[in-house]
Amino acid sequence: MKLQHYLGGLEGLGPVSTETRVFVETWETRIFGIHTAMMALSSQLPLPPTPSKFTTVWTWADLRKGAESLNPFDYFKFRYYEKWLGGISGYFIDNEYITADELDALTEEYYSDPSKSVPAAGDAAIDNRVVQYLVEGDSPKRDTNVSFDFAVGDLVSIKNVPSIEHTRLPGFLRNKSGTVETVYDGAYVYLCDTGTDGIGAAMPVYCIRFEPEDLWPGNTEKNFSLYADLYSHYVEAPAAASAKQAA
Amino acid sequence: MIDRFQYREDREAYSAARVKALEALLIKKGIITDKTVDTVLDFFETKMGPFNGAKIVARAWVDPSFKDRLVTDTPAAIAELNLPEGMAGAEGEHMRAVANSPDVHNLIICTLCSCYPWPVLGLPPYWYKDPTFRSRAAREPRAVLGEFGLPVPEAIEIKVWDSSAQIRWFVVPERPVGTEGMTEAELEALVTPEAMMGVAIAKAA
Repeated sequence: MKLQHYLGGLEGLGPVSTETRVFVETWETRIFGIHTAMMALSSQLPLPPTPSKFTTVWTWADLRKGAESLNPFDYFKFRYYEKWLGGISGYFIDNEYITADELDALTEEYYSDPSKSVPAAGDAAIDNRVVQYLVEGDSPKRDTNVSFDFAVGDLVSIKNVPSIEHTRLPGFLRNKSGTVETVYDGAYVYLCDTGTDGIGAAMPVYCIRFEPEDLWPGNTEKNFSLYADLYSHYVEAPAAASAKQAA
Repeated sequence: MIDRFQYREDREAYSAARVKALEALLIKKGIITDKTVDTVLDFFETKMGPFNGAKIVARAWVDPSFKDRLVTDTPAAIAELNLPEGMAGAEGEHMRAVANSPDVHNLIICTLCSCYPWPVLGLPPYWYKDPTFRSRAAREPRAVLGEFGLPVPEAIEIKVWDSSAQIRWFVVPERPVGTEGMTEAELEALVTPEAMMGVAIAKAA
């Protein structure tokens, strides 16, 4: 397990931040822009090619895998966009677009002279594709024949799949039971294959209602309910769950 | 004492230099252009943002049948409005709206990351991305809302929606009392991103 996947319900964290700004430092806007451009230029999208030298895949899953691969103590030490900056820089270095040495050297130059500007260059076709991605998106919905094992109102159990690198199953829902609230129309892929965790291919997605008292017995508030959208791979019939426990 | 729990004293200046160096290298290597980052940021100032969500909510306030359609089939209802192109674009491919009522208050969270409906709300504020919010809102939403200055009486049910798959959620807050004579444009100005994620309610100015 990774603590990053088990955030929901942690104790002892102190007051929440009520900071309503999106960016608290100007530099954060730049890494957000770079990340969005990478998603837009990513090679799996069915968009026209551009002269960009970016030839590999970058999706939300890649960003999340990077953040979730951090030592948990570092995950909570670094601010949100600090994690992005570390993960994205690492990706460009690992994929040999840039070297760590040239990034370090140029960082020193801009550190010594923050007013020094970035170079002027580039083909407008690259930016047109970035805008096209923002406008058109990248729908995960697929017209695939899939079977729906559950209907609204069914009681279901949540599996505890072996998630190693990445998951979309929050830790606090594992081995718990809930009730199907919504069966979403169609099938949905995930952005990458999560391996033993089990998502990637097109499959149904259910919205499942959980009673907080079942999630945190004796240690939660009254008169609220928690809903989570979960890929069907994480969901099974209660009988299957109890058979496994008995075995 | 180990290094793990220490930051550089020049934490922000160093990150600023490093991201600038990264952007410069990516421009030099032909991956992005010198206008790419500004193009993205401009898009979020003019096309995708909470100003779209505010229009949707104001319409729901003045037209109850629109509100019904909005919570039944969110994308189809949004498509009825004259909003910029891209309301089903990046991070808006599958959106679902939930409406507050006198009996129910809705709160959107993402315990795994920071899923957020970009086209109608723009980019997530810091509070939404903060691990403390993501953790605590799942187990003690009433306490968390209290810290936002929003007491929710125990008689009102709170529904917490954890965005763990591909659906992006937003809240239609209730129309504030005392706004009966206001125009749709005036109503839009009362809708905040916080109200559309459920940590605030809309208030008559």
